[in-house]
Amino acid sequence: MDSFLTSRIVTDILSGLTNGVVYGLVALSLVLVWRSTRILNFAQGAMPMFATYLGMGLLSYHFGYWACVVISIAAGFAIGGVTERVLVRGLYGKPEINPIVVMVGFLIVLEAVAAAIWSTLPRGLPSPFSPIDWQIGGKPFAMSDFSVYEIVTALVVMTAVALLFRFTKLGLQLRAAALAPEVSRLLGVRVGRMLTLGWMLSTAVGTITTVLVASNFFTGLTPQVMDGIFAFGFIAAAVGGLDSPVGAIISGVVMGIILQFVGDFLNSNAIILVALAILIVSLMVRPNGIFTKSTARRV
Amino acid sequence: MTISSNRRHVFVTAVFLGLAVVASFLLTSNGHSALVLGLMTALFVIGVSVLRIPGLHTNHPVVARGALTVAALVATLIATYFLSATTNFNLATGAAMSIVLLGLSFLTGASGQISLGNSAFMGVGAFAMAIWANHHTTTPIVVSLLIAVIAGALVGLLLGLPATRLRGPYLAGMTLAFAVAFGAILASFNSWTGGDAGLQLPTAVTPPHWLTSLYQSGTSLLTTNTMWLADISIVATGVAFFFMGNLFASRTGRAMRLIRDNDVAAELVGVSLPRTRVIAFVISSAYAALGGALWTLINNSVSPSTYSFALSITILSLVVIGGIGTIPGALIGGLIYAYSSAVISWIVTQTGLKPQGNFASQMNGIIFGVLLIVVMLFAPMGISGAVLRAWRKRRSHLRG
Amino acid sequence: MGITRKRRLVTTSTAFMLSIGMITAGSSVLSAGAATKTPGVTKTQITIGATVPLTGIASSGYSDVAKAANAVFKYVNAKGGINGRKIRFVMKDDCYGTPGFGCTGNPSVVAQTHALLSIPVFATVGSLGTPTQDAVRSLLKANGVPQLFVNSGSRDWNNPGTYPGLFGWQTSYNEESKIFAQYIKATYPGASVCFLGQGDDFGADGLAGLIAGGVTPSDTQLYSVSALVASGGTSVAPYVAKFQSDKCAVTVLDTIPGATDAVLGAALQMGYTTHWIISSVGSDPVTVNLPFVGKPFPDPEIGAVSFSYLPASTSSSPWNAWMTKVLKTDHADFPNFTSTSPITGNMAYGIGWGVAFVEALKVAGKNFTRASFLKTLTTKTFSQTPSLVPLVYTRSNHQGLNGGYLTKIISATQTQPINGKIYVTDSTSTGPVVPAKKLSTGIPAWLK
Repeated sequence: MDSFLTSRIVTDILSGLTNGVVYGLVALSLVLVWRSTRILNFAQGAMPMFATYLGMGLLSYHFGYWACVVISIAAGFAIGGVTERVLVRGLYGKPEINPIVVMVGFLIVLEAVAAAIWSTLPRGLPSPFSPIDWQIGGKPFAMSDFSVYEIVTALVVMTAVALLFRFTKLGLQLRAAALAPEVSRLLGVRVGRMLTLGWMLSTAVGTITTVLVASNFFTGLTPQVMDGIFAFGFIAAAVGGLDSPVGAIISGVVMGIILQFVGDFLNSNAIILVALAILIVSLMVRPNGIFTKSTARRV
Repeated sequence: MTISSNRRHVFVTAVFLGLAVVASFLLTSNGHSALVLGLMTALFVIGVSVLRIPGLHTNHPVVARGALTVAALVATLIATYFLSATTNFNLATGAAMSIVLLGLSFLTGASGQISLGNSAFMGVGAFAMAIWANHHTTTPIVVSLLIAVIAGALVGLLLGLPATRLRGPYLAGMTLAFAVAFGAILASFNSWTGGDAGLQLPTAVTPPHWLTSLYQSGTSLLTTNTMWLADISIVATGVAFFFMGNLFASRTGRAMRLIRDNDVAAELVGVSLPRTRVIAFVISSAYAALGGALWTLINNSVSPSTYSFALSITILSLVVIGGIGTIPGALIGGLIYAYSSAVISWIVTQTGLKPQGNFASQMNGIIFGVLLIVVMLFAPMGISGAVLRAWRKRRSHLRG
Repeated sequence: MGITRKRRLVTTSTAFMLSIGMITAGSSVLSAGAATKTPGVTKTQITIGATVPLTGIASSGYSDVAKAANAVFKYVNAKGGINGRKIRFVMKDDCYGTPGFGCTGNPSVVAQTHALLSIPVFATVGSLGTPTQDAVRSLLKANGVPQLFVNSGSRDWNNPGTYPGLFGWQTSYNEESKIFAQYIKATYPGASVCFLGQGDDFGADGLAGLIAGGVTPSDTQLYSVSALVASGGTSVAPYVAKFQSDKCAVTVLDTIPGATDAVLGAALQMGYTTHWIISSVGSDPVTVNLPFVGKPFPDPEIGAVSFSYLPASTSSSPWNAWMTKVLKTDHADFPNFTSTSPITGNMAYGIGWGVAFVEALKVAGKNFTRASFLKTLTTKTFSQTPSLVPLVYTRSNHQGLNGGYLTKIISATQTQPINGKIYVTDSTSTGPVVPAKKLSTGIPAWLK
């Protein structure tokens, strides 16, 4: 049993799972924004990055790690809300390219301002849990306290979002505001407020993800920390279907595991190539994502 | 048009032609240069003259476009003789970029498809050019440019076929993935693409003798070389814009615009959706490849890191700022690309920021990003769109 | 009505373009100015330039190199300059040629080099990066502009036949690895050695040097920088896992700091223990330690062996105090530098070639041309620069420094020489590694 647990296959599955939940969370944030406002948020990695810098900057003022995490998430809420109000409000109903370009511009500005204020030098963040892999029979097992914390946090977030949407009045209002804004308005739903809330939630989820990613010690916190992960998360969301939160999570996790195997058995170049191949094949079979129920289009 | 005004038109043209030829001989020092300058100015005069033929634009729009292209080209080519090497270099780079922008503008503005993969198609053309040149050193430039264009078109076809069924964000996603994966694709063919270091062209592109003889002896190689490169780039741009202008107005162009506005209605009137979409995709990638191949010529080398996803973002930004779906918009975008960093460094010195400090070095990104947001929110048709709108307003004012 | 408008539009626009052409022509003719005898040199000033990564993924740490050289130039200018001339150093940002989001809208290295040429500059000095400087070799040669002290250990800069104006500065990757090999053979005879290198000439030359020095790794892996960046560092983890199952006693890294971080992090995570030997390019303790700050375990780089050709911060070399003085005085480039701030490897590197340039300028005399300056470089030995081995170029060898000493990383900010022996070698596969006979002497009096 020991040698099975420390075998290459299990190691890859577990490491892939740890990466995959991160991709799943990013994909989930993208889906949250898409479902509530039908906008593709290219700044989905940059906005939480900025919130993380704001919160974690307080570490040097002797705030505790967890206090900084909470402040970062609060900053994430705020940034999401302000962005929706100021930038995105004017974009509803406009051609598809408009919000994409605005969010790309926002991404560039956020990364540039973050680099201007805090420089591009990586910053180490304290590890709340030990990142050292457990040892089983003297061999490393691809799980550590920190990776368990990552997976548990991701599961908690995903469940919380699901519960919110399914079982609370607020969730119902959020869904209604996205699907049928005019009717919802008539029924007393504050549609504008719901749209803002959708963005706030999405950025908050993104901030939790960024804190997880930046707390690992491969690269630390940099303005570009979420760039690569955003690309993989985006691919996962497209594969799963932008309308399906469950699809986003599943495709993120599965992709993470597959790509870990690819990186291990082939080489690091092949990782993005296989991701591209997965995307092309899945979009050819299901052009609107695997988990999207096909909807009729109004003509 | 009466017979006397026709005759007057021809007479005026002949006078200008004569003046141009005489001036060329007077202004230049040797027979060679006189010939070249005379030919250029003659072309210019003829081009402008043809344009002044009444009814030409309605009856023979292709000829009108051709004359306009020739006139504009000649004027710019003459200008390159006088410009410094750095200005010519920037002009060449910007002209090549405007070709790429035109392709994307066409794809997005005319047929409504969002593509984030143009950096990769540029890379295809750039590397095709370099790889071919390294294996066949005697191919004339025009042929190797064509080869790069064909390579780009083929890859565009490869990617465009699966893309036909995709809508909005999914098409964006697929082209994004292609752009991100392009570096890895290049790395997989290390032996052909030269790995991280990229490829150099085996011999620098040098101008033909009749061009170098235009200059005084002792002029630096750099000046003559960059002028020649700028000229190649500008001519390619003229040709590319000429074709695009015709395509815009043709049946295919109209079909594409119909698809953009309402694809179901388009299908109802018999437009083949997949076919038209793929054509638009292929054209846009062919144009991007031409731009990339020109960059390889201009830089005498190609490096994989140049054609990263961030370049796609730059391309998209320039198209938007210049003006989506318009021809002048692509030209404006190219100009901005060539001169933005000079302008921004000037801004930085004006603000008194430390030139090597954190803020100054990020100014490029800050200004670019803010410009993108502001243009998209307040003037989504870009600079050319805003100018057109102002001009139209003036016109209606004058009328009213 | 419409036709007249169109005609007017066409005529006005072409007239407009022509006038733009003439104006630019006029201004460029005016600004070109008379060709001076030596471009970039006047009675009171010499202008040099460099393309360096001030922003972008490679700039972390590397942006300090050129700024440190600039600090040297400012220090010398404050003392009256060299032979009555002040040095004007123009730095252009090339983003290391990797235009990520941090570099949107940035001009390419070729465009920035053109910009330098148009100033004009006497030479480019200290431009950074192998692919970036490879790309502009022919451009600079075509314009007769010397390309000096390229910041890279590639052997590409040692090509005097094709590029007579091209000079490297640092000890090459190949030479460094040969010295590593000698250390491995002496300290870990018969041990299994694993090698991780960058997938370009950095890794290739480093591997060749190891083998030439007599050490053939049992497992060789190459990583790609772009995959590393895209994966947030996790792309090297499988390589480390392979090394762990190989149970290598010694692991040699030819990595940039970001990759060193990723490897050390992965090793820590997996519990992989080995004797690390890290190239000088990617071992600077302060830079490598950055992502590990605040973590509940010690800096994983401590105990690693590396290589240097500049004074260790713990040594008693008089250069250390001098470097501190120079950096402290340059408030613009190093606003937070105090007497107790650590001198990072990047700063020392920049000061190293900055001083070399200043000394070459002094020796070149009051009146010099590009040709005579290059001749100075290849005929004089520079033994009063911070590098511990003298800087020697010959007509057939433009590589630069040819040796150094082994260091051990003893803390998050400091290195210490291992045995204090300084070795020299060459970049051939047969040239031996021998103790250096000639060493640098101290700071020249006029520079103090």
